[in-house]
Amino acid sequence: MAIADISDRRRYLAQGNVYLPHIAIIEKIIDETPGVRTFHFNFKDEKLREEFTFDSGQFGEYSVLGIGEAPFCISSSPTRRDHLEFTAQRVGRLTNALHRLSVGAEIGFRGPYGNSFPLDFLEGKNLVFVGGGIALAPLRSLIWNVIDNRDKYKNIDIIYGARSPADLCFKYDLDAWDKDKSVSMATTVDKGDESWTGREGFVPQVLEQVAPSPDNAVAIVCGPPIMIRFTFPVLGKLGFTPEQIITTLEKRMKCGIGKCGRCNIGNLYVCRDGPVFTYAQIKNFISSEY
Amino acid sequence: MANKKINKKNIAKLLGDWSKEFELFIPSKDEGIAKFAKWDGKDTSFLDWHRNTIVPPKAIFFPPVEEMFSFQKDKQSYHIELPSSDGQKQLIFGIRPYDANALTILDKTFKDTYEDPYYLPKRKNTVLVGLGCTKPYDSCFCTSLGGSPTDSANVDLMLTDIGDEFLVEGVTDKGRELMSMSSELEEATEADETRAKETKEATYQKVTRQLDTKDIEEKLLSSFEIQDLWEEIAAKCISCGICTLLCPTCYCFDINDELIKDRGTRFRSWDSCSFPVYTKMPMENPRIEKWRRVRNKVCHKYEFYPMNFDVIACTGCGRCVRQCPVNWDITQTLEKMQAKVQSG
Repeated sequence: MAIADISDRRRYLAQGNVYLPHIAIIEKIIDETPGVRTFHFNFKDEKLREEFTFDSGQFGEYSVLGIGEAPFCISSSPTRRDHLEFTAQRVGRLTNALHRLSVGAEIGFRGPYGNSFPLDFLEGKNLVFVGGGIALAPLRSLIWNVIDNRDKYKNIDIIYGARSPADLCFKYDLDAWDKDKSVSMATTVDKGDESWTGREGFVPQVLEQVAPSPDNAVAIVCGPPIMIRFTFPVLGKLGFTPEQIITTLEKRMKCGIGKCGRCNIGNLYVCRDGPVFTYAQIKNFISSEY
Repeated sequence: MANKKINKKNIAKLLGDWSKEFELFIPSKDEGIAKFAKWDGKDTSFLDWHRNTIVPPKAIFFPPVEEMFSFQKDKQSYHIELPSSDGQKQLIFGIRPYDANALTILDKTFKDTYEDPYYLPKRKNTVLVGLGCTKPYDSCFCTSLGGSPTDSANVDLMLTDIGDEFLVEGVTDKGRELMSMSSELEEATEADETRAKETKEATYQKVTRQLDTKDIEEKLLSSFEIQDLWEEIAAKCISCGICTLLCPTCYCFDINDELIKDRGTRFRSWDSCSFPVYTKMPMENPRIEKWRRVRNKVCHKYEFYPMNFDVIACTGCGRCVRQCPVNWDITQTLEKMQAKVQSG
């Protein structure tokens, strides 16, 4: 995967300064699970609202001014551009502050940063999406993107799991994909409850059961590190080569543009050279640094 | 323009001439800590130190704490304001060759992908006047990294000690322009040139510590997974971070907000890959173990940075060796690593 070409994105710099956020307004808040919310937002500046574009897989740095800033992927699809979305789990100071905001509140946004899913490479191929928990967010941007251009791609398999039925995110999307006859969907939970009638089992196990063929296929994987570590060997067993496996990674980040240092995996910065990588790119380092 | 010279007694006058045009920084002592500070108009005591500053001059371009912008909250709305910059021209007097080399290395990161709007303008507005070193420390190893104690490669104007005087060499146009701004400089004679050459050669020989950098990238790559080696290397490290904070090529920073009532500031501050919190995420920390952090620091300097920018992120200044409270030593570390790789 090439280093992101940023030449066409400079126009989004606020006052010419890459660290300055644009002001955006929260338009809608959706409770995904007890600790996870999706925020719909739009830029305050009308010109930017018109001009802003991004690619599936890219991320932004979101601010609650006075509290701080953190990176989240843009979880909506660039094919559906009347607003932007991001999804955040309430875990730290910044995400707690985000979760206290209501519709109409102002946040800061800078981006889009990083590279994106390689649509040209995916075209004409069978796509296998493997996601876990809140990490469906970046995959979801790509899934809607390919569904909105359905003719360009062959089979679409989605394998998604969460710890429990209550931890499943984007249930409205899961329902829509379930009903979509052109998409094959397997949803699982580690452990069900009394009302759960679906699959039980960890995502890598379900992937092994579904056993998608590696022929003319690409697997796109995103989940917590533990899921990623167990999913790669299963894909290998199914016959996927490291070049046929794409993932998007998450690390602690501050600057988002390859300067502050902390998000490296070997010589690669997740913010600058990723967040989208092939397994071939990172397999030397991933066992010990991710 | 031919080389010039200046008598050491006239340095204050020379600085005085330049200070009309530039905000001038010299090596100075602040509560006993040697660092670059604004010139007070008379102090030249640093000429007698023959020692370098503890805090590297990177701090002038990339301060330990720096305001990025401020903001005012008015009801629901935010107003964001950039710090005012007067674009003042700066001059750093007495920068050591390896610290100037470090700035050339730092430029690569701050220019990469997106230009850094704080570091680069200051860098552009600053002239560097180098001062050759005459008494290298035991911990210095700049000659192993392509430098020399009197190297003029990364400065605008270079001074070399020739006894009662300094030989003054214009390296860049900016530097030669400086020479024409003061009447204190005299024409250098052939004898002065010869003496400067002798000083340079003699000082080069005084750097005795050596670091073998041959194939160092490949060797580090092949030692990456040898956990006991890295555990042994990291054993006495106390993760205080001083080797990174005082490193002239380290640039890691944190970004934080401060809010007082409705008025706030976003600022960045030096950070260190030695600290566990540096990579801490809500559910995981990829470098929670100390040996992983030490390995990352070493590999970043001698493997990852060369992979990205074709240059080792170390200039052999020796600060990390001198200032370490537990005598952790980068040259010994790399020797140990190389011995392990060679023995398989």
